[in-house]
Amino acid sequence: MHREIIRRGMDSYDVAHLKGRARIKDWEAARQKCQEIRREAVNHLDRYLLQFEEKVVARGGHVFWAANSEEACTYVKSLATRLGVRTVVKSKSMVTEEIHLSPVLEKAGIKVWETDLGEFIVQLREEPPYHIVTPAMHLNRGQIAQLFREKLDPAIATDDPRDLMAVARRKLREAFFAAEMGISGANFLVADTGVIAISTNEGNGRLCTSVPRIHVVVTGIEKVIPRLEDLAVLWPVLATSGTGQGITTYGTLIGGPRRPGEADGPEEFHVVLVDNGRSQLLGDSEQREVLHCIRCGACLNICPVFRHIGGHTYGTTYPGPIGSVLTPHLDGIARFKHLSYASSLCGACTSVCPVKIDLAHHLLQNRRNATEAGATKSSERMMFRAWRSVMLHPRIYALGGWSARTALRIVYGLGLAGSIVDPMRVWNRYRSPVPLPSESFRARWRKDLDAN
Amino acid sequence: MQTREAQTENPSRERILERIRAGLRTVVPQPAPLASDRVIFEPVANPLERFQQECVSNLMECALTADTAASARQLSEVLQSLPAGEIFVQDDPSLRRLIELAAPARAIRWSSEGAPSEASQATITLAEALIAQTGSILVTASCGGRGASVIAPCHIVYANTAQLVPDLAAALGRASEERILDRNSFACVISGSSRTADIEKILVQGAHGPRRLVVILENGS
Repeated sequence: MHREIIRRGMDSYDVAHLKGRARIKDWEAARQKCQEIRREAVNHLDRYLLQFEEKVVARGGHVFWAANSEEACTYVKSLATRLGVRTVVKSKSMVTEEIHLSPVLEKAGIKVWETDLGEFIVQLREEPPYHIVTPAMHLNRGQIAQLFREKLDPAIATDDPRDLMAVARRKLREAFFAAEMGISGANFLVADTGVIAISTNEGNGRLCTSVPRIHVVVTGIEKVIPRLEDLAVLWPVLATSGTGQGITTYGTLIGGPRRPGEADGPEEFHVVLVDNGRSQLLGDSEQREVLHCIRCGACLNICPVFRHIGGHTYGTTYPGPIGSVLTPHLDGIARFKHLSYASSLCGACTSVCPVKIDLAHHLLQNRRNATEAGATKSSERMMFRAWRSVMLHPRIYALGGWSARTALRIVYGLGLAGSIVDPMRVWNRYRSPVPLPSESFRARWRKDLDAN
Repeated sequence: MQTREAQTENPSRERILERIRAGLRTVVPQPAPLASDRVIFEPVANPLERFQQECVSNLMECALTADTAASARQLSEVLQSLPAGEIFVQDDPSLRRLIELAAPARAIRWSSEGAPSEASQATITLAEALIAQTGSILVTASCGGRGASVIAPCHIVYANTAQLVPDLAAALGRASEERILDRNSFACVISGSSRTADIEKILVQGAHGPRRLVVILENGS
């Protein structure tokens, strides 16, 4: 059933994605433009971040630079404690998942509400998001209705998605108006204007950043873009790649706390810029472009591996091809090198990436890097060393071939094919043994050469 | 520099910047830039027509009116279709006039009195611009604040055809030029009512924000 739900979800994405792409006159040009925008930003990351920071600070906002998860979480937690926060509403942010912010706040006695419908569902299930864009895509309406009955209201009698949304809306409205702090991510940090850009459809991101008296943005340092006008192509391309929409319903730009004379808005505005291994990636001449990623999820959706094993199997914050490429950089190659092998290297991810990251080759480079870093098992290394030396010495190779043939001839001669002493047991157990050649390839080669 | 340090303690700031600069010293080969003659989006020939089409695909309502009296009638009609309750209106002379003409039998809260209450049935605001390419409206904090376009189940925008711009590039270019984000802490490009497809990828209109987005579009010169 699980696979069926994923297949149906992906099929409807495929249809919408292709329809969305058709709305853009020159899709390849759009990808290249987005790639250039992101490349320019990442190649001058220090300059653009400082420009962004200056603008935000001038408007009375705060910018905090966090070297790792711990610094980021500690900053948000002490801010919340200092300002007497008891309830936090969160809109979708993968960086907060990456740094595991919610458990830190909850341990400090703060109630955290995920407000994106999909995130809310997985939070009720005490699970991480299944997909970076559609966190609850692994569940059908019946399972969600059952979950809501157990956790929210036993009287829910329907599994119509509209009614389930209405239940969540009512519940979360209370949270929005009770919360003192809203936490959001940012899809982009616009350097020349000094604003964050958030794309959302549900409006929860809007409420999180409008109603509570404190707004905290948690985002990665790589999210910066040079100019406001860059959004004219990035917004439609992100929407098309993410969900197949022409544009996301709300493209929100926020540059600071409420200004004098404005009707509403938070009194405090904090941006937490998380490094957490990203600056390391800048120095990687092959893989710097991994930082161009705009987290649209297109590579997950197209990936034949993701489609079969699903998002939770990866055991990482970012699943799918981008996760397999990025996670070893963020969390260590030794622990996460296996992800780069869980790929057929078919290249579908590279072909859909809206900022043209060459994901398939980065997976291949990760395999090489893992080996060079000595992250492989010593038995594996020894076997490959032995293999290498045999391949380099033709006489030893020939001897190996001769002894294998002779040994097999004896085993087969004794009628032991497929038995426990047969080295070819895996094959021969269920099949008749492959006939043994009477002589080696080298012998035949020499004979044929002589004959001609 | 001094104000910054007074604002936020940043023990890792210099270290991160140093790491970034060190990383950027690595030379990465750069491919050739995009040829300048490539056109990414089809240019918008007729902005009004395109805006109306896009409103339909964004599931918004767009009513074209001839003058203020017609706009007021349109507004009354929309308000009559809504449940009883307060409405929130951006405090602006043109909206005061429209409300006077429409004379709704409802309590009105003006944006000068603060944020909209959660129980508001509708909010009425102006827009900074209308974007034909995507069927979007551009609002800022000046349009009644942040909550004005998201708290109530129905958001009504009173706009003029003279506010139409062909595409996102034009709208953002103008926003940049006029420095609207120096005058507003918030701006938003809104393309339809709030929605979700988080359950089985089925579209549900009306998630956390408005179920209805109505544009009363007056024909201006």
